[in-house]
Amino acid sequence: MVQSTGMKMAAVLAAALAWLGGPVLMSQTGNPAARRLASFIPASAGPWLSEADAIFDAATVFDYIDGAGEVYRSYNMKLLVARRFHKDGKPDIVVDAFDMGSSQDAFGVFTHDLDGEDAAIGQGSTYKAGLLSFWKDRYFMSVYAEEETAEMKRLVLELGRTIAAAIPGEGAKPRLLRLLPPGGLEAGRIRYFHNHSVLNYHFFVADADILLLGQTADAVLGEYVDRQGRRSRLLIVEYADPPAAVRAGRSFARTFMPDAPGGTAVKTENGLWTALRVYDRFAAVVFDAATGEEAAARLEAVEALMRGARS
Amino acid sequence: MRYRTITRRDFLKVASAAPLAGALAPSLKGARAASADKVRVFLIRDANALDASGARNAEVIQKMLDDGVRALVGQPDIVKAWKTLIKPEDTVGIKTNAWRYIPTTEEVEQALKRRVLDAGVAADRIGIDDQGVLRNPLFQKATALINARPMRSHHWAGVGSLIKNYIMFTPQPSAYHGDTCADLATIWSLPEVKGKTRLNVLVMFTPLFHGVGPHHYAKEYTWDYKGLILSLDPVAADATGLRIIQARRKAFFGDDRPLQMSPHHIQLADTRHHLGVSDPDRIELVKLGWSEGILI
Repeated sequence: MVQSTGMKMAAVLAAALAWLGGPVLMSQTGNPAARRLASFIPASAGPWLSEADAIFDAATVFDYIDGAGEVYRSYNMKLLVARRFHKDGKPDIVVDAFDMGSSQDAFGVFTHDLDGEDAAIGQGSTYKAGLLSFWKDRYFMSVYAEEETAEMKRLVLELGRTIAAAIPGEGAKPRLLRLLPPGGLEAGRIRYFHNHSVLNYHFFVADADILLLGQTADAVLGEYVDRQGRRSRLLIVEYADPPAAVRAGRSFARTFMPDAPGGTAVKTENGLWTALRVYDRFAAVVFDAATGEEAAARLEAVEALMRGARS
Repeated sequence: MRYRTITRRDFLKVASAAPLAGALAPSLKGARAASADKVRVFLIRDANALDASGARNAEVIQKMLDDGVRALVGQPDIVKAWKTLIKPEDTVGIKTNAWRYIPTTEEVEQALKRRVLDAGVAADRIGIDDQGVLRNPLFQKATALINARPMRSHHWAGVGSLIKNYIMFTPQPSAYHGDTCADLATIWSLPEVKGKTRLNVLVMFTPLFHGVGPHHYAKEYTWDYKGLILSLDPVAADATGLRIIQARRKAFFGDDRPLQMSPHHIQLADTRHHLGVSDPDRIELVKLGWSEGILI
């Protein structure tokens, strides 16, 4: 592995600061939010020493992670502090610490990729292929070893636990999750998001934004499995106000189910059912239910939860 | 122009639900009728392009590039072949890709530069750049471009493609991120690049077929394919590379799972923007060299 002179100097300085007991705050000294975010990350990870932090906001995140920045922007990211840990002859470890501004969006961006094993870190975590992701409070954290070995996995998980412990509080999940009826719901497959590109990432609905999500709606997508192992999905979107929900419902019915009697339910080309219901400022869509009755029953359950949420 | 919205149900009409978020079927996009002439794409592979440790062999890579260009041009003399692509009076920009984990590679850059020099272009009129192309005087004056980048799965565009490689010619790349980069092909109409591309080189040494995390990279999801794809048509080259990526995903995951984001910018470059050909039925794929594990 090639180590640049700058990298070596940064590592030496980081080591000196770590020895002095201070965090590595080289480029965020004038930014209190960045300073706070950086304070959650240790200066060293065993013999791996950190380099100077890099700091990005929603406007500059592309400089760091190219188009992937769109995912974090879609969850209203506020700040990213990236810290690289280096040890000669070993893979680097990269910590990307995101301040998402709210615990709801920290949870949401965490649900963007749920593959992997539960690492029991923070308020929710996954580990796979050298990458630990977790969320806690309004923060989303990625700890990544550039090459996975047993040693690196242990180090990544240890670093993750240290970071999680340094974040003092916890945050609430989006309230919208309470509208998902629990029967048959796969708890580890719930996604929370705001726009149709992310919806399509998880479940392709249409190439255009036919549910009028824009960037301000809140949406939750749940996966359900029945006793026969048949999989269906429930999408619930919360709009700014009831008229917006009505407009979205009409848009969806017109484009997705123009052949549905009353624009509410239709047997689609795979022999499964899609059904729509608009209630107050919410729109709920069941995809791929085995029967029309099953779809209707799930929407009834959602509406009952919505009524409960209003009262 | 208003385009018809494509929904999940359109896919259900023509196929099982598996490839829904993957490549859009050209038939759904009103693809143009097949023309008599097929676009040619050259896939060149060599088992020795990388050694067991992953180190690249510059000599082998030069030969792969040369074999591909000879075949593409139909001229056995490599210098004469390049002179049909590049004129001595050209100012040439080699648009590369410097992504940390899988770059275009210096070996490919230098192999291209060597042949541009052989074609008679002075060294001080050859530029190699990625993110700085708009500020690079050589690219500002370029009369010819060579587009060279690796193919990899991409967190937002589905795949990082030759079409996408020109995004750095725009002052605000994120302006092209809409609908997961659907209209990237419009970049190719900008004056900085329009009509200048003489060769497209899609590097397939260690393609990334799946990504994780903010950096969308894990070595586990790369493999030693040891290939180069050459074409005059960036869309056809990308469409071919995409098929290899998808085949690898199927072999690895054991199912037809779609890419995490739809790479529809490749099909739309054909059907909406007419930059090139994406339909495999209209692409003549010429395979040269090592065939083991070719996947296509």
